[in-house]
Order: sequence, then C-alpha cells, then structure tokens
Amino acid sequence: MKIENTKAQMRKGVLEYCILSILQHGDAYTSEILSELKDAKLLVVEGTVYPLLTRLKNVGLLNYRWEESTSGPPRKYYGLTETGKLFLKELNTTWSELVEAVNLVTKK
Amino acid sequence: MNKTININLGGIFFHIDELAYQKLKLYLDAIRRSLSDDPQGRDEILNDIELRIGELLSERITNDRMVINDSDIDEITKIMGRPEDYSVDEELFEDEPKYSKSTSSKKLFRDADDKFLGGVCSGLAHYFGMDVIWMRLLWLVLFFFFGTGFLVYILLWILIPQAETTAEKLQMKGEPVNISNIEKKIREEFQDVSSRVKNGVNEVTDTVRNAEFKNKAKSGIQEVIDTLGKIILTIFKVFGKFIGALLIFIASATLIGLIVAAFSVGSIEILGFEGDFMEYPPFFFDSIMPMWLLVVFGFLAIAIPFVVLFMLGLKILSSNVKSFSTTTKLSLLGVWIIAILGLSFAGINFATQTAYDGVHNQTENLPIAALDTITINMIGNDSLSNEKELRRDHNYETVFDNDVEKLYSTRVNVDIKSTDKATAFVKIRKESDGKNRLTANKDAESIEYKFSLSEKNLVLNGYFLSNLKNKFKDQLIDVTIYLPVNSVVYLDASTQTYLNDVDNVQNIFDGDMPKHYYKMTENGLECLDCDPSIFGDDFKRDNENFKLNIDENGVEIKVNDGDKNAEVTIDENGVKVE
Repeated sequence: MKIENTKAQMRKGVLEYCILSILQHGDAYTSEILSELKDAKLLVVEGTVYPLLTRLKNVGLLNYRWEESTSGPPRKYYGLTETGKLFLKELNTTWSELVEAVNLVTKK
Repeated sequence: MNKTININLGGIFFHIDELAYQKLKLYLDAIRRSLSDDPQGRDEILNDIELRIGELLSERITNDRMVINDSDIDEITKIMGRPEDYSVDEELFEDEPKYSKSTSSKKLFRDADDKFLGGVCSGLAHYFGMDVIWMRLLWLVLFFFFGTGFLVYILLWILIPQAETTAEKLQMKGEPVNISNIEKKIREEFQDVSSRVKNGVNEVTDTVRNAEFKNKAKSGIQEVIDTLGKIILTIFKVFGKFIGALLIFIASATLIGLIVAAFSVGSIEILGFEGDFMEYPPFFFDSIMPMWLLVVFGFLAIAIPFVVLFMLGLKILSSNVKSFSTTTKLSLLGVWIIAILGLSFAGINFATQTAYDGVHNQTENLPIAALDTITINMIGNDSLSNEKELRRDHNYETVFDNDVEKLYSTRVNVDIKSTDKATAFVKIRKESDGKNRLTANKDAESIEYKFSLSEKNLVLNGYFLSNLKNKFKDQLIDVTIYLPVNSVVYLDASTQTYLNDVDNVQNIFDGDMPKHYYKMTENGLECLDCDPSIFGDDFKRDNENFKLNIDENGVEIKVNDGDKNAEVTIDENGVKVE
C-alpha cells in the first residue's frame, strides 16, 4: 500500500466539501477555486476538479453563469444552489462530528 | 527549426509548434478516454479543461516568446495531472444513477414501458438501435409466415431480463451497436494504439538522449506489446459479437427448421401431399417404437444442442442474459441423453430388421401347350406411380393404393425356361429381409404381385406393392416362366428392362431380345426372326463357317470347311452352284 494513495484518498474525500465551502462566501470562477484549493495544499493536480465540478453541477448542488472578463475569453462562474446550501450545511455538521471522532480516537 | 500550428484553445488563439501540438492533442485525447465512463458530462468537462489550459498557457506567453513549445505542455500536464487523475470515484454519485452510468456499451433488456407482449421487440429495437415498429413488423412476419417465430419469441421472453432499475433502462438504450459505432470504437482504439506507439517511440528517443536507454527502452517495448494485446483484444471482441450473432442466426434457423419438420412428419398426410415429399430416416420404418416417439426423440436430440448454441450466442452478444439454472442444465442434459439412447435403440433395432432373408414361392399353371404362341407383356400402373417410363430399377416410390400408403417398386426379374411338362407354368418367387426367418417369410408373402393370362397373352405386373415399413428390406420378385418345348413366345417391347439372363440358343443379350418371336427348345429359346447382328459372340464364332442369307435378292448359302468351299446362289440369274 502506497502512502501517496492513502493521502490522495483522504484528500479526495473532503474535496467536494471544500469546493462547496469555498463557494458559500460567494460565486467564484474555476481558476479561483483551483488556486484556493492549491494554496490550502488540498490539491496536487488540477485535473481532479473539473469532472467533480461538472458532476456537482449535474446533480444540482451547483449552478454556473458566464461572465465577461477584461483579459481573455468569458469565465465560468460557479455558485451554490439552494440544495447545495442545504447539502453543505449537513456536511458541516458531519465534518465537525468527524473531526471530533477522529480527535477522540487519535488523541487518547 | 519547427513548424508551428495555429490553434484555438478555450477561445484564445495560440501559435504552437508541431511537437507540442501532438503532445497536447495526445494529452487531451487521453483525458477524453479516461472520462469515457461519463459520455454526457465529458464534453463539458473537456471544455472546462481546455479553457483552463488556455488560461495557463496565455500566462506563459510573453512578447519575447510567441510560440508554445514542448516544455510548456510538459509544464501544463504537471499542473493538470495525469489523465487517470481525472476520473471521479463512482461511489460519490451512486444514488444518482442518471449520471453514474458505468458503461457505455449497451445491454439487452426487455422494455416493460413499451411493451406489446413481453417487451422483447422494444428491447431488441433498443439494442439494435432501430425503430420498434420495424422490429414488431419483422416479428409479425415471423409469426405468420413461419409460425415458429412465436417459439423463439417465448424463448427470448424467458431468457432476456426485464429492465427494472433506471440504470438498466439507460443501459438498454445506450449507444446503438451498429456498424458506424463499431467502426468508431475500432478507430478510437487504433488511435489510442498509434498514440501509444508514438509515445513509446518518443520516450525511446528521449531516453537515448538521456543515456538511459536500457531501462526505458524496455518499457517502450512493453508498451508496444501491451497495445498490441489491446488491438487483438478489440478485434476479438468485435469478432466475438459477429460470431455470437452468427451462432444465434444458425441456431434459430435450425430450430425453426426442426419445428417445421417435426410438425410436418405428422401432418403431411393430413395436408394431402403425395409421393416422396419427405424422406424419413431408415429406422422410422417398421420400428418397435411409435412414430411420434421417434419424432420427439429426434427433435430433442438435435434441438437441445442448438438451444445451447443459441444461449451461447446470446451470451456473447450481451453478458447479462440469464443463464439456465443448474437444474435446467442438468435436466436438459438428461433429456438429451435419453433421446440419444432412444434413437440408438431404434437404430440397433432397425439394424436387426434385415438380419434374415425370407422367401415365398408360388406356382401357377398356364393353359399353354406346345405349338401355342403366347405374348409376354409387362404393365405398370399409371394411377399409382409418377414414373414416366416403365422400367426395372431399385428405387422405391411411396404411393397411395385406395388411400393406403404403400411402397411401389419395379424390382421384378423375368426369366423364361423350358419344361418337359405338357403345359406351361409360372413361378413367382418373392424375397424379403426380416428380423428372423419367420417374419422375413411373412413379409415376403405379403408382397402384392399379380399377373394375368387372356387369349394367350400373358400380362405380368412390372411392379409390386408392399407395406411402407418394408422400405429397407431389400424386397424383390423373381418371375420364371416355364414353357413346353416347341411353344412360341413373342416378347413385347415392355419386357426389355425386366428380362434377366434369359437362356437362348443364339446367346442374344437380354436388352436385344424383345420384339421378336422365339421358339422354345431344350436348350432355351431360339429366335425365329432376329437379325444375326444381335447374336452373341459365342454363337457367331460357332457358326461362322456357315452362312445363310435369304432376302429380296434371292438365297445365298455359303459353307466353308477349312480348305473346301461350297456356295449356292439362287437369284434372278438362276441357280448357281460352286
């Protein structure tokens, strides 16, 4: 078992939670989401994010709009839908529960 | 020096050199493939990716450096990640089957939402990507014109599962399996292969440069072998589908044929067909098993393997077709073995049918004395037989004699011999094979054969009738006519093929004997009006020293006795003796 794989698995698990969290402060376009994730060291390669975004949009958690940009082609701005917000709320509680649980186990 | 190409990536215009372009294209193609699990979202995701790559590249372009090169693309791939990184865990979206289609290939289901009977037609229509109305029409035609299409339909109804979940319904309606898609698939696969080969070669050349030849060359070769394997696998898959379809076709054609045949065996007589419309297998005749049981055994023995073939074909075409349960398989095997055993038994039984020869003799006197002249005729029976010409042969015809099905055979041998008795008689010898001497004799006796005599005219049947079950019992009739010496017989033309080795003084060949008068002598018949040219060689040799010629020119007699010649000629000039 490779340590990298386990790490990647762990990161992947929280990725959608993080994407939804980034968007709760307001709409963002793909590059912004990517740079924020990268800054937080949650992301090694960008590739993972694109299918994830599309799928989240397809299941109705996200929506998007096109916005003109001053430098270059139009940009795709993602935002949370109402279901997305509810979804995120639930994930928030799950996450805190999870942190507590992990703390409880690891810091004994 | 490198050629550059202009491209449009996410709405931004780039100059890119050729090598970098190839690399980028391969990269995007690879991503496309790794996303192929999700054909609906794929184009959208790829658009996003192109947009992002465009963005990243535009950051790298400065006024000094206008052209995107190899290392830029390498840099981009490093940021974006390997193609494998693009796939998403399916479990995350499991309960949203609409977007979690696992495969793009289509599966065969019955469509319960659009059904007329069992939804087989609509399922097949989905599978073959055609409109359901055509499929229904096709089956309708099969129902009406072949009747047995119905059985195939029932079989499919049982074997093909119904699409129940949303996922199954989507799988059912997936990409149609038609030629263009198969072609597309193969082309995709080949592109994949060629790009891999290119990659491999590139890697090799790269590594030569890096002087790490030994290690990487191996991986390049391995890659080539891997991709070769993939090509072969794809070809086999396509080929396999073809074989599957072929199997189904052959099996169903055979089954339909068999069912038609099985029904016909019993029904041909009812429908009123006459003659040799169908050939029964030999052991169907005079078997201890009833005909229907033999039909059932024969049907099962052939049909079961083809049902298995049919299943196999379906399985190859679509992996989710229900398999027979073990119990069904075993009982099918059991039934098949029973059928085979039954047939073997019938076969062995049939083989013993002809173990013994049986004979029946019958003698009848004919009121013909010496100096009488009789005519011998052979007659056929046009109302029974379909044969155009009356001649002896070894064939059997199935005929209806007063609505009873019988065998009609012209295997009748005629011989003429002399007798010391005052009146003539005829001996009829009937032969037949049988299971034992007794039944053989009885079968021989039961052969129907007739002849009649009226006004010195002997009329022999040129055929005999027998029970249909005796077809393979080698039955025949020998007719021997015994005539007193000095009686005269005229052989009618109809006797030609029936005469069998008739003794005659002049050694005339049987086929040349008819249409002449013969006088019975102690040594056999003697022709009274034959041309010497038909005389046998033996006779000619014995008589070549003597020549007698009587015709319109007169009489000529020549005798040659070694060194002495005698010749008498009587003609218009008078008599001349030398």
